[in-house]
Amino acid sequence: MNDGDLALRNTTYTLFARLGRAPTAAEISSETGRAEADVRAAWERLHEQHALVLDAETREIRMANPFSAVATPHRVEAAGHVWYANCGWDAFGICAALHADGRIATTCPDCGDPLVIGVHDRRPDDESLVFHSLVDAAHWWDDIVFT
Amino acid sequence: MNLFRSEEHIARWLAGRTPGTTITVSKLCELAHAWWSDRLSPGWRPRSRSESQAILDRLGLTGPFWRLP
Repeated sequence: MNDGDLALRNTTYTLFARLGRAPTAAEISSETGRAEADVRAAWERLHEQHALVLDAETREIRMANPFSAVATPHRVEAAGHVWYANCGWDAFGICAALHADGRIATTCPDCGDPLVIGVHDRRPDDESLVFHSLVDAAHWWDDIVFT
Repeated sequence: MNLFRSEEHIARWLAGRTPGTTITVSKLCELAHAWWSDRLSPGWRPRSRSESQAILDRLGLTGPFWRLP
């Protein structure tokens, strides 16, 4: 990753956290002074390097892991915003990235019951829950949206 | 990658599929903080594979399932 792409990646994440949503290429262009086409080209390189994930069709930001640009079943309240995480791991990751306590709301995929977990001082307030990953680490990026 | 009410719920949800791996929510939270806490840091840089693997190893997440490519 070259210095320019690294800086653009960091601006993308900073703006995501500031706005509480995924920034557009136009917003990154305005923030950095780089042409929108340059922003999109850098995003493509960052996507290839798994530094962020672009939507397969629109090529807009789909994930700035652990943040999701689209609504998911993993909702997180933290640092004054509502966020969506890409998975259960990322839900805790949002609290970690923001260095904030939070409240995670999701549902059990088996029974559909709501699961609500508070995170305080980096600890979950309900330790009875469990986390399952179907996909092993070697294949996480084969299909990151499925993972 | 989902949270479940209990291991019984996972078994029912799998419905005969090959299971992946299950960890406690406490371990997950620990992993999340080790893995993601630098993502908004101005000094963020990409981690190498060995650095990422070291995080998993340090948390006791070892074995073939947790082996990065």
